[in-house]
Amino acid sequence: MADNYTGPLERIDATRWRIPKSYKPGMLVDGVIYADDVLIAAIKGDKSPEQVANVACLPGIVKHSLAMPDIHWGYGFCIGGVAATDPQKGGVISPGGVGYDINCGVRLIRTNITYKDARENMGKLINELFDTVPTGVGKGGVVKFSKPELRKLMAEGSRFVVKRGFGWESDIEATEAHGCIPDAVPDSLSDRALSRGMDQCGTLGSGNHFMEVQVVERIDDAKAAGAMGLAEGNLTVMIHSGSRGLGYQVCEDALKELQDTPRKYGIDLPDKQLVCAPVESAEGKSYLGAMRAAANFAWCNRQIMTHLAREAFSIIFGLPAERLGMNLVYDVAHNIAKMETYNVDGKTCQLCVHRKGATRAFPPGHPELPERYRGIGQPVLVPGDMGRASYVLTGQPGSMEHTFGSSCHGAGRRMSRGAAIRASKGRNIKRELAERGVIARARGRTGLEEEQPDAYKDVNEVVNVLHAADISHRVARLRPVGVIKG
Amino acid sequence: MIRFVRPSYEFFDHTADMGVRVWAATMPELLMPAAEGLYAAIGELAAGGDESPLDFEFQGNDPSVLLRDFLTELLILFERDRRRLIAITSATLTASRLAVTAQMAAVDFERSVFHREVKAITYHELNICEVPGGYEATFIVDI
Repeated sequence: MADNYTGPLERIDATRWRIPKSYKPGMLVDGVIYADDVLIAAIKGDKSPEQVANVACLPGIVKHSLAMPDIHWGYGFCIGGVAATDPQKGGVISPGGVGYDINCGVRLIRTNITYKDARENMGKLINELFDTVPTGVGKGGVVKFSKPELRKLMAEGSRFVVKRGFGWESDIEATEAHGCIPDAVPDSLSDRALSRGMDQCGTLGSGNHFMEVQVVERIDDAKAAGAMGLAEGNLTVMIHSGSRGLGYQVCEDALKELQDTPRKYGIDLPDKQLVCAPVESAEGKSYLGAMRAAANFAWCNRQIMTHLAREAFSIIFGLPAERLGMNLVYDVAHNIAKMETYNVDGKTCQLCVHRKGATRAFPPGHPELPERYRGIGQPVLVPGDMGRASYVLTGQPGSMEHTFGSSCHGAGRRMSRGAAIRASKGRNIKRELAERGVIARARGRTGLEEEQPDAYKDVNEVVNVLHAADISHRVARLRPVGVIKG
Repeated sequence: MIRFVRPSYEFFDHTADMGVRVWAATMPELLMPAAEGLYAAIGELAAGGDESPLDFEFQGNDPSVLLRDFLTELLILFERDRRRLIAITSATLTASRLAVTAQMAAVDFERSVFHREVKAITYHELNICEVPGGYEATFIVDI
């Protein structure tokens, strides 16, 4: 297991801990980690706080190098990391602050179906989803795009696939950035990136990616839940996936191209995986254009799987998806870098916000929110684990003040994959999940073991920290009843 | 001096991803167990005939980065072309150059058992160093 973190962690208040910039040479700002007393003890068990300190060395970083309470050890950036840089002050963009799976994200679909009515069909439904949605290693999608089509898809985002019948017009409004970040440059992608994406749009992948059927177990904020169409006892569908091989290749290409860039700009880095370029440099702009294209691909990926989920529900429940009320609640990216506007020390600034395993969490009134969410704040979708719960939250004003409009992206792992497999010896995770009322289907031999509930922190603790910190407030708790994995 | 007669690999824990540690008597001999470690992270990949030779060549200034480049190439050949390395017939790995002549084969997906998808071989904690008896390489794959 990773070595423990032995550096300084100073308590700021009940939900925040500081790594002072005096901790190591090169730190330009303090690190700040959101956690309570229980979570911080686990966080110190790996080297993720060291990664928070490393990110604090990035040129142009503003205020703090941040980590959400689902923080754990990553590569370069920690998972759960947030860093904003100011391009006007030499601020950099780092592909490692986005990750290989560009625009890995989560979407939630509501339904009119109650779990009570659907319970006897749940086995059939999960099997139908498992047969309909391509999952696991080497599984191609139901549609294959040519390279020219892929370029168009990446320029247009979700609308491209919705126009071809993979979804509804209303899905677009319910997607962060309307499923399309402007200024994507699909022509800058390598042939290899395109090749890896041709048959992977509309595929789930493996690892921690999943499609889960859930029941709304508890409503904490009736007004917000009402705006999202969430009712206690009803089913929801959560999809977690990203930009597949295309996005991995964009990151791979960028890391390769940027290997010598820090030296060119006189940037000293504590980790090779943090390679970066000034946002305003040719190298920085090139990566941002390619990253945006891959992000748009990811939204199309989740959009096609939404269509496939609706088809599976229609088959099992014998009604069109529209009659089942399968509207998209929201879709959020949690591996991304975006240009966003913030007030820093009384000045309005355009900052490059890296979210590496962190979710945008804009508060009520933010102009980028769809009209129906303007009064309640942006839906923040937080998958927990296969056995306990996931959450729907809303962004709150504290996020703009303290976390560059960001919240957590999940529960966060507490066990390595190896430890999770070792902890599964002599157990049958599929049966254990069934005993908890969760029907699980997975293609990979070790998928359920590695992703078992015990491998994750308690999502309740994670969201409670951010609720208390006024970053994002609880709206609804969702209990899993069925899951498919790669 | 101990000699690593049989090159080998093992996995080590990394919270969300997987670490692979490799040993061999010489730097070029690290390449085969490193490839085996990568494939084992994905699953049990059964070779399905259609063998053919393939040359790899990379230039650089860090042998660990060259090893990473080689493994990345193998990952893409697996994902895109469904082919895997089955033998290395000649190999050079120095600080500035990696050159490999390898024997490749189709992966039989029906007979293979998959564990998980590997997204990439990261630069994080990437290393090759001398140890008693030979060399040790470490790399972390993104899951």
